[in-house]
Formats: sequence, structure tokens, C-alpha cells
Amino acid sequence: MAIQPGSESAAAVAGQEIHQDTTVKWFLLGAVGYFAVVGIIALIIAAKFVWPQFLGSIQYFTYGRMRPLHVNGMLFGWLLAADMGLAYYLVPRLCGVKLWSEKLGVATSILWNVIILSAIVSLLGGYQKGLEYADLPTPVAVLVVIAWVMFGFNIFATIATRKYEQMYVSTWYLMGTILWTAFVYLTGNFATLLPGVTGVNQANLNWMYTHNAVGLIFTPAGLAVAYYFIPRCANTPLYNHKLSMVGFWSLAFVYVWTGAHHMLHGPISQWLQTISIVFSVMLLIPVWAVVYNFIATMKGQWHQLGNNVSLKFLMSGTIFYLLTCFQGPMHSLRSVNAIVSKTDWIPGHAHMAVMGTFSFIAMAGVYWVIPRVFHTKLHSEAAANWSFWLFMIGGLGMFTSLWLGGFWQGWQWNNPSIPFIDTVIALKPVWMVRFFSGVLIFSGIVLFFYNIWSTALGSGKSQPAPAKAEGRVYAA
Amino acid sequence: MNDYTYPSVYFSYFLFFLLAAGAVYFCVRSIKDGYWGRDSEEPKYRMLEDETQHESQPTGAGAPRRP
Repeated sequence: MAIQPGSESAAAVAGQEIHQDTTVKWFLLGAVGYFAVVGIIALIIAAKFVWPQFLGSIQYFTYGRMRPLHVNGMLFGWLLAADMGLAYYLVPRLCGVKLWSEKLGVATSILWNVIILSAIVSLLGGYQKGLEYADLPTPVAVLVVIAWVMFGFNIFATIATRKYEQMYVSTWYLMGTILWTAFVYLTGNFATLLPGVTGVNQANLNWMYTHNAVGLIFTPAGLAVAYYFIPRCANTPLYNHKLSMVGFWSLAFVYVWTGAHHMLHGPISQWLQTISIVFSVMLLIPVWAVVYNFIATMKGQWHQLGNNVSLKFLMSGTIFYLLTCFQGPMHSLRSVNAIVSKTDWIPGHAHMAVMGTFSFIAMAGVYWVIPRVFHTKLHSEAAANWSFWLFMIGGLGMFTSLWLGGFWQGWQWNNPSIPFIDTVIALKPVWMVRFFSGVLIFSGIVLFFYNIWSTALGSGKSQPAPAKAEGRVYAA
Repeated sequence: MNDYTYPSVYFSYFLFFLLAAGAVYFCVRSIKDGYWGRDSEEPKYRMLEDETQHESQPTGAGAPRRP
């Protein structure tokens, strides 16, 4: 059942009167800004693989400092901040009330900016813990915990005052994100530093954190956003709410046990490896529940993809989600893992998850939300469309080159007669493709940044969009 | 042969056992709260109208049932 287009704009006008959305603006504009800044870092790293001497004599631009800055900047500066901003947008609307405290939300945003700027300074200065995804120095990590408590309190307090007893699935996913993040972040950033936690024990905790950072922070946050924006952008109800609950609860039961699959064939117990493999394969259940629901929601609505950029990002993100979550269980199998583990396959897989899936979904949300909260039109539909295709073509180039290169690398590594340096030299063409794919992706980021900031900065100069004329007046 | 991974396994799996226990508790509660019953599809219709429903509906009331 599709909803008539005209009803949406009236709804949007009513929403504008109720919601202040200051926190949404602060978080989203900041996230988009960091996306552009950290995109430059990503490009420098990709260039270093092809031309190792590039900026090599400047300590701040060495690989050891650039890489953690890229990872943490993209994860916390861009993606998590964008998801938090979108959560501040959708939770009050789903609950039928105002955000519990706009002041607390703005304070959280300010603190988040302090965290990201501190992270940039400290990581560039070489102050880091040296743990995957947990590189931030402990004082900065403490600030992250404080900011997360402020965010969680505001969201839960809003949900507690909701007008409707039954919550939409996005609300469930966001509540899960907040609670799971508390456990996961504390494990990765603090439990790993406890006295006696060294060697393989530290690695076990660290990988448990790293995998669950993707699975229990970015996955539920991204799915919350997708469950909200796919029906909203397509203007049609979700296919099946009960099925979405099956996906949510199966994710809650299955995901937490999978982290040890990062250490297959490593010096950890065989039973621990087997548990992680079994639960990794079981991940196909929540993934299928989610993807089937999204695809079925679009039944009879696919024609909208042609002129709806947000929907393009959302459905491409859905396909990348299916692919990345098929890859994950498959390379958790011991036989496949023996080839791809520690190779370029892994960054190819990780980039499809974090960029191809969850960044695509977040960008769809940002393109949808920014014109609405600033009560204007998107600055340029054409630029938005171009950004999509730059991300898509660049992303496909990067993912496929890294998968193929990773397999190639793994086969070479499994042949002891090949000197290691030869395996490095052999990968140069792959890294060249990655660099030029990165140039395309970065161009997409620049267009995205320009479009979003121009929309925000130009909102005061232009007349408000004629919201009651037709549906989708805000575009995207 | 000693298994030196036990301290971290006990710690991390205890934390995640707590999460799984919480998931079981809230999943059972969701059944009690009607998320798996005949009204379980209601939120997906209501979310499409969430902007217009504000301030006009009494607390705790669900939106009108859809076909």
C-alpha cells in the first residue's frame, strides 16, 4: 500500500513546528565536515601504498599515524556522529514527542567535536594505544563514554515520554545500539588495559570489541536509519514489521559471539574458534530477515530509484549489506580464512561494510534530513546524483580490486617458495586501482560536503520550500 | 597443554552473556507487549504519519488500525 505523495509534505510542515532539531543540525553538519577532512587522509594512505615515499619524511604524515586517524575519523567523526544526528531526528518523530532536552543534545554535540578534534591532534602527534579501533588515548576514550551516556540518556528519556506504546523497529535498534555500545566500548578501550591482560588475552578482547563495534554499534545504528528512511523515501509502508523484529532479536542473540573469528588459525582455543564460526554462519538469519524486508518493501516502487537519490543510496546500501554479510560468514570458515586472513581481502570487506553499506545509508539520511531541518530545498539535485555515482563506481573499484588482490596475496603467502617482498611488489597494480577508486570516492565526498553545507548555509537566503504543493518538495 | 586464553574468555563471554540474558528478557517482554500479535504491524503505518500525529493523540494510545 503506497501513501499518496501530498500527505508527506503536510506532515513535514507539522513536524517543523514541533521539532527544534538544533542537535540534528550540529551533529550532521559536523559529521559531514569530518567526512571530508578524513577523506583527505584516506587518499594520502591510498597514495602511500603506490608511492611509499610520498610525504614519508614528515612524521605527522607517516603511515603509522595516518591509518589510525583514518579509521577513527571515519568511524567516530563521520559515521557514528551521522548516525547519532539521525537518531536525534527520527526518535522524537517515531515517539510523537519533542526531544527530551535540546540543550543536552547540543552539549553532547559540542563534547563530540572536542573528542574528534582531540583525536586528530593526539593521533597525529603519535599518542595512541595501538589497539585496533581503540587507538584513542584513554582520556579521550573517557570523554567518549561521557558523551555516550549523555546521548543515551537523552534518547531513552525521549522514548520514555513516547505517545505510542508499541515502538517502531528503528527505536528498538537504537536502544540496542546504545546499550550494546556501552558494553562493547568499555571492553575494547578499558578491559584491554587491565593488569595482566596481555598477549593473546588482550588480542581476544580487542577483536571481540573490533568485530562488535561493527556488528553491535554500526550495524544496529545503520539498520535503524535504513528501517526509517526506506519507507519514508519510498513513501510506502515497511513490508513486515514482525519480520523486522525477527531480524532484531536474532541479531541480538547471534552477533555477540563472533569476534574470535578474527583469530582463526591463531594461538587461541579451538573450541573458541569453532563457537565464533558457528555464530558467524548463523548471522545469515538476521541478515536475510533485514534484506528480504527491505527488498519486499520496494515491491512496485523500484521506479522511484530513478529520481530519488536517497533511495538510490539506501537500496545500494542494502545490496552491499547482503554481499558483505555473505562474505563475513564465508570467510569465517577455516578453509577460506586460511587464504584471505590478514590479506587485502579484509580491508575490501571492511570498506564494503562501513562505506558501501552504512555510510551509504547514513548519506541517504543526511540528504533527506538536511533540507527538512533547514526548511529549504537541497542545493543541487544533480550534484547529489553525481555524488552517488562517484561513490558507487569508486566503491566497486576499491572493493573488487581488494578482494581479488587479497585472494592473490593469500595464495602467494601460502606458497613458502615466494619471497615476501615479491608478494608486495605483485600487489602494486591492485593498489593503483585502489588509489584511483579512492580519487572517485573522495570526489563524491567533496560533492556531498559541498551540497549539504550549501543547503545549510543557503537556507536563510532562499524562500522556504512550497511544502504543501506536492510531495517530495525537499528533494533527495 | 595449557589454554592461556581463559581469563579473557571468561571476562568477555561473561559480559556478553549478560547481553544475551538481557536480550532474552526483553524478547519475552516484547511478546507480552504485543509485538508478535495481531497489532504488530501497526507501527509501520504510524511511522509514515509520525509528524502529523504529534500533540494530538493521548499518551499510550495507538494510531488507528490500518487495513
